[in-house]
Amino acid sequence: MLSATAVRTPLHDALGASDAALLPPEDRARALDAFLTTPSGRQKPSRFWRIDLDTIAPDARAIAPNAVAVDIQNASPRIVACDLITAAREHAPLLRRAFGTSGAGTTKFGALARAFAGTGAFVYVPHDADAAEPIVITYTIAENSAAFPYTVVLAERGARATVLERFAGGRDAFVCAAVEAVTEEGSDLHCAAHQSLDAGARWFSTRTARPGRNARFAWTSAEAGAGLAVLDLTVAIAQPGIDAGITSLFFPTGNQHVDVVSTVDHAVGDSTSHTHVKSAATGAGQARYLGTIRIAPHAQGSDASLRDDALLLSKRAHIDSVPALEIGANDVKAYHGATVGALDEEQIFYLESRGIERAAAERTIALGFFEPAIDRFPTEALREELRAALASKLA
Amino acid sequence: MADQGLRIADLHCNVAGNEILKGIDLMVEPGKVHALMGPNGSGKSTLAFSLTGHPQYQVTKGTVALDGTDLLELAPDKRARAGLFLSFQYPAAIPGVKVANFLHAARQAERPGDLPPAKFRALLLEKMDLLGMDPSFMGRYLNDGFSGGEKKRLEMLQLAVLAPKYAVLDETDSGLDVDALKAVGECIAALRASDEGRNTGFLIITHYPRILQHVAPDVVHVMIDGRIVKTGDADLAHRIEREGYDGIREEIGAIA
Repeated sequence: MLSATAVRTPLHDALGASDAALLPPEDRARALDAFLTTPSGRQKPSRFWRIDLDTIAPDARAIAPNAVAVDIQNASPRIVACDLITAAREHAPLLRRAFGTSGAGTTKFGALARAFAGTGAFVYVPHDADAAEPIVITYTIAENSAAFPYTVVLAERGARATVLERFAGGRDAFVCAAVEAVTEEGSDLHCAAHQSLDAGARWFSTRTARPGRNARFAWTSAEAGAGLAVLDLTVAIAQPGIDAGITSLFFPTGNQHVDVVSTVDHAVGDSTSHTHVKSAATGAGQARYLGTIRIAPHAQGSDASLRDDALLLSKRAHIDSVPALEIGANDVKAYHGATVGALDEEQIFYLESRGIERAAAERTIALGFFEPAIDRFPTEALREELRAALASKLA
Repeated sequence: MADQGLRIADLHCNVAGNEILKGIDLMVEPGKVHALMGPNGSGKSTLAFSLTGHPQYQVTKGTVALDGTDLLELAPDKRARAGLFLSFQYPAAIPGVKVANFLHAARQAERPGDLPPAKFRALLLEKMDLLGMDPSFMGRYLNDGFSGGEKKRLEMLQLAVLAPKYAVLDETDSGLDVDALKAVGECIAALRASDEGRNTGFLIITHYPRILQHVAPDVVHVMIDGRIVKTGDADLAHRIEREGYDGIREEIGAIA
């Protein structure tokens, strides 16, 4: 059982090495206590799920400043893209407008990422700046480490940008990441992520967005690697006129476990959101998806859709899909559609009848299943990367 | 060669435990066009699916040989690689699989490495033009959201691109307007005039004789209740056009 007040743990001692300019020690201690006392909100979904997300924690001895290396590519001179420690020293007023303001720290793993935030990235897109090229952030995680990569994005009025994160490495590592995206009126921000950590990694990622009035915002997220992947994707709609999208794709194979929660919170009306989830599982792969759309009682004129499709490719594979629509207003549009199924024999036969071997036909259909979701990711290079990652899971 | 042809002998086939084909004998010679006509429910599509090896169609008796190769021993993909093609009446939609990629994969499977990508693309564009298909088709998902006519044109495009030894066209004419039907006829004529398709043998399954105005059959068979009850030349199709199938039924009844 979790106690209301956390006792001092080796994790508290490990906080000492963290950067005080980015976040003072007392704030870090509070965040760590929140991690230790907040329930994950993720009950074991069913009998197959053996991992207890309420007691899981990193090994304090594995926490070290060099656990993660970050590389940031930015081709736009008006845009600031630097590491988080530098941002805390050179762009502190800008960083404060976003860091810790999107609600990332209110979830269990978001709080843990905040407690140990250090190596990370800060992207600032000033008003009306247009990033012609995506800002690419690559995190490489050291083996056997506990790592806490933290990305903060601030997009001002009318700014347009795509931020693409890649996560790699991390053999036997505990990786707890966060992204906070805060945008202003009329901006257009797309945050994409491709996680391809080592199969021995445990991965926790909390991504929260707070878009501005009349802004477009999108999360696209692909979970390809890690033995355990726990993902929280949130968009808080607190302004009208927002067009928000969430796309998540995951494909547990072997013994991988994936647990994705997406939440779109329509606190005010006249905004649109669309959530698309595509998943497959094979081998003994296990996944659970919980998709929540919340429309507050006064959020009239909200338009929310949630579409989730799951493909089971083996007898031992398992995907639980739990949509939750909490609609408090009456003048809204809310749509939910879900499918869980195996490959279609008529589709397989059609390809076979054109000389394509059954195994290749199955691969082609399964890859095609993901294609509408892949299409939503930015850059052809990333899309090709995702196709290759999925194809290797089907080989 | 003596054993050339698509040779079907005493073929019996069950679907869901019911015998639908009750002993079919038919041979399509290379380069010839056979029409298989018959009313709804006579077993024409069952013949098409039993030839191509659909898992729900159980052949209980008989043989099918393609230029001497025993087809019934082969999985569906191997039958296709042996040179058999089926134009589906209701082709499956496969979202996420682009037409161009699918056609390339099929061509590679059936004729490995014989066309470099640029030439393959040129071939596709030429055949699409012939079928009155917009080049944007290539980027669409396979049959996904296609109209009935678009699906049939895509089946014909595959026929043209794969140039099989034997093609079974299952009601390719149904649901087509006059222009689409004409395009189908021109596509088949172009294939038959090409080097690749000169020797393609056709089995054209249809209710109505109207497709036969565009593709002249060498032989016409009439199937009723799982058996071929009459075989003749193109005049037989004209007779069906005038009299319907009742005249044939009466004739059969009179003989029996």
